[in-house]
Amino acid sequence: MKCPRCDSDKARIMTKSPVGGAWEVYVCNHCCYSWRSTENIQISEIFKLNDEKIANMGMLPPIPPLKK
Amino acid sequence: MSKVYKDLREFLATLEEEGQLVRVKEEVMPEPDIGAAGRAAANLENSPAIFFEKVNGYKYSVVTNVHGSWYNHALMMGMPKQTPVKEQFFELNRRWDKFPVPPKILAREEALCKENVITENINLFDILPLYRINEQDGGFFLSKASVISGDPEFPEDLNKLNVGIYRMQVKDVDRLAIQPVPVHDIAIQLAKAEEKNEPLPVAIALGVSPLVTFMASAPVAYDQNEYEFVGALQDGVPCEIVKADTCDHLYVPAHAEVVIEGYIIPRQRFVEGPFGEFPGSYSGCCKQCEIQITRITHRTNPIFENLYIGMPWTETDYLVGLNTSIPLYKQIKATMPEVVAVNAMYTHGIGVIVSTKVRYGGYGKGVAFRLLSTPHGMPYSKIVIIVDEYVDPFNLEQVMWALTTRVKPGKDVVIIPNCPGMVLDPSSNPAGMHDKLIIDATTPVAPEPNPRSCEMLVPSPATPKWEEILRQLQSAAQKKQEGNRL
Repeated sequence: MKCPRCDSDKARIMTKSPVGGAWEVYVCNHCCYSWRSTENIQISEIFKLNDEKIANMGMLPPIPPLKK
Repeated sequence: MSKVYKDLREFLATLEEEGQLVRVKEEVMPEPDIGAAGRAAANLENSPAIFFEKVNGYKYSVVTNVHGSWYNHALMMGMPKQTPVKEQFFELNRRWDKFPVPPKILAREEALCKENVITENINLFDILPLYRINEQDGGFFLSKASVISGDPEFPEDLNKLNVGIYRMQVKDVDRLAIQPVPVHDIAIQLAKAEEKNEPLPVAIALGVSPLVTFMASAPVAYDQNEYEFVGALQDGVPCEIVKADTCDHLYVPAHAEVVIEGYIIPRQRFVEGPFGEFPGSYSGCCKQCEIQITRITHRTNPIFENLYIGMPWTETDYLVGLNTSIPLYKQIKATMPEVVAVNAMYTHGIGVIVSTKVRYGGYGKGVAFRLLSTPHGMPYSKIVIIVDEYVDPFNLEQVMWALTTRVKPGKDVVIIPNCPGMVLDPSSNPAGMHDKLIIDATTPVAPEPNPRSCEMLVPSPATPKWEEILRQLQSAAQKKQEGNRL
């Protein structure tokens, strides 16, 4: 399954609706985007991700040095 | 004694009695309905809370906009719903001084949040009707969850127990992202755990009494326990808490709808966001921490309480308006008794107006310096306006008067570059740093020269009498008008 945000094929089913087979929720293992089958997903160009953007992404909060 | 709510349900009942809660009985879709209704409520005056009885595909209900109007805010404090904001400010001030009121620790069997326990096949979607709040959000978010964490160095010290609201993205059925911004208390605790490569235990309480949420989002000092403030704001009635099941030093609100227990995975970061935030724009993607969930306890038929956040004003702005103003006021007042009131209601305290008496020349700027060295003001506050003691900082017409008649830009406007900032302020660059702007709109006091005299107009002593006469005449005229219409 293809991720609508980073276009990787690493998306999977996260869960199904607890009642009545109403929908499924999917998640991308590569960029963590998640969405519901009943949504009309249109990701703005500015929020699309690729490997380069993910590699250069900031970290919050920074990881402190290990104390011995 | 004003009304005290032991849990969310008691507060919702009061809101309903006061006409401040509406029920949506028809089934709604998680998207776009719940987010859109939250936005719509924020667009109305004196908006009610919205209770969605049935959400497509889910078992339980959702409530939003619980804090989303000054009416609901007053009712939270047990005051009449029409109480003006400034009166709510001074009532909060009065109760604040009752701190600390030690919480009441209940036995496990007395705590309603322990009615049901899930330890296997944990799936948040079974309990919570999760939904996307704004269209471009990276997933489904918990926007109103109180996160409880302890200090790994002093786990038994309850003063260092922290209760805070941090945005959380649902990453999997048993996993949440959390945003511990470095300026917030939980980041201090997380750094201590991560230095040793140890997990940080957390408990997450959803659907709590409204003053718990109010204090969880208030910027009090690191060594002040939020539960002791809840007791103070309940006018001396202790907050009821209970020990978490998986961690001996964490305590949760005893009658929360849902309690999620787990730990922050140390030294790992994963893509989080984007998320529509309180400045009215999306905050982009960033690598942030994740929480592994190990246990859920919940009440029978739990209610999922969540809030809409976006272009101000929304529920968030009502929630963090006065709870940001009061601690700033108290912290400045402790060393500068001349300060009269603090309005930090604009964009979570990025803009602040302080009213103060000027003890000696230049004192207004000194008050601004003090604000800019408080725990919240140092990183958040970017535009600081200081006005005289007789200007109501909650009345923007009066503040504009002070700006137009008391500011000489050459000496009263100061910019200090490269100071601590707030990452979510989209003007901060680099994110998390900004310049400070101080505007001293007070009247010059010696030894500052004031070369032009300005004689203030004094109203005639007969004015109050005439206010009353005009009020009565107007009321009679309106009644006559209504009579004509009927």
